[in-house]
Amino acid sequence: MSRSGSSRKSFDLEWIERWARCVNDDRILPVIGRFFTSRFVLGVDETEYLIEVRGGKIQRIAEGLTPNDLGYDFGLKAPSSAWMKFSQRIPPPMFNDIWAMAHPLHRQLIIEGNTLPFWQNLRALTRMLSLMRQV
Amino acid sequence: MNTHDPIVGRYVYVQCEGKTYRTYYEEHGEGIPLVCLHTAGTDGRQYRHQLCDPDIAQNFRVIAFDLPWHGKSIPPSDFYLMEDEYKLTTRFYCEFIVAFCRALDLTKPVVMGQSMGGNVCLALALKYENEFSALIALEACDYSPGWWIDPLHHPHIHGGEVVATSVFGLMSPESPDEYRWETWWYYAQGGPGIFKGDLYFYSVDSDFRDQCQKISGKLPIFFLTGEYDFACTPEMTERTAEKVRNSECIIFGGGHFPTSEDPAKFKEVITPVLKKILGLDPERRGQGGARAGVTDLRSGGRSERPAGRRVIDL
Repeated sequence: MSRSGSSRKSFDLEWIERWARCVNDDRILPVIGRFFTSRFVLGVDETEYLIEVRGGKIQRIAEGLTPNDLGYDFGLKAPSSAWMKFSQRIPPPMFNDIWAMAHPLHRQLIIEGNTLPFWQNLRALTRMLSLMRQV
Repeated sequence: MNTHDPIVGRYVYVQCEGKTYRTYYEEHGEGIPLVCLHTAGTDGRQYRHQLCDPDIAQNFRVIAFDLPWHGKSIPPSDFYLMEDEYKLTTRFYCEFIVAFCRALDLTKPVVMGQSMGGNVCLALALKYENEFSALIALEACDYSPGWWIDPLHHPHIHGGEVVATSVFGLMSPESPDEYRWETWWYYAQGGPGIFKGDLYFYSVDSDFRDQCQKISGKLPIFFLTGEYDFACTPEMTERTAEKVRNSECIIFGGGHFPTSEDPAKFKEVITPVLKKILGLDPERRGQGGARAGVTDLRSGGRSERPAGRRVIDL
């Protein structure tokens, strides 16, 4: 617990990898995320992680973006302090959901880019991100 | 022996703004009419626990109706000819609530609504204070912006899934999973564009920020908001309640759908409110309450038979 607790604070690539493996072990996502194929960015402070998803499973993660990535579909960007609260086992009010954090009343998280695939896959994406609470 | 809920469902024809609406409602209990208003895009099933609660049914005739376009109530017959998308307006919403109560010959009912059903309580207090005896506004405030958005009704997006998931985070993570997902299911079943159209009322047409002070205070208003409500935060409710005469504000550890997401917790917070309403209106309490004398509102859960019933085993 202490290991994950301390590394959670950094939200480094190793932490993202543990989360991605947790996502890929999940038995619900292949069902509800069957059509979730996308490349999105998880922004933590100034760091951007490119997450490549196919059929609800994460196929690739990368720290930072390069010209060879040719961009991405959408980005979810928030300060690490917000992701920290979001990823608690029982997150506090206003940080328990990405739409809660992004809602114009709260603006803790920015949804940028083409938000159509974001909304289209909201159910699977919500499940995927909620697994951060198990990392 | 088969188990039944004590709820009875019927249809009533309600006249409103020149049209007739076949309207579904469910009820149980006797005493003070307690008319329950569902949230945006859903229906009266959100009140199934309160409808079945023997302690509430002892003193209140609990009634939950489905607005036109919702649940088992159908849209107006010419809906396919509409030249604008569906939008719930403050005027229609208020008039329909009043018309429904009149169609059932209810005298001075209590209205309990949540979310948009809570916000409309402010409009009822402003325009129809003589029609009701008390208002219970759950998850309500004078202005709830940010929800009238196209992704909630878009041909490239699955309406049921996106609507239901967009509200999932409004619930407390500590509410029982079973009931949070039941609430999700209600949302997933709404008609196309109905949730968004209701949110026209919620986020656009019902800005009461400059009107709250005009509420006379003749009607007691009870505001109750859960701490996980990110659409109507506790602070937003508190700010509203401060402006409304003869109101009380209760903040509790729940979310935006207290009646359906955590009925046991809701019972804890609503019981003192219902006791106060009974205290203000003792002669109209139900026969069950009169027979039982002091009502024990602490017992949780629902019962398979009406409370207060005398049973003698021989």
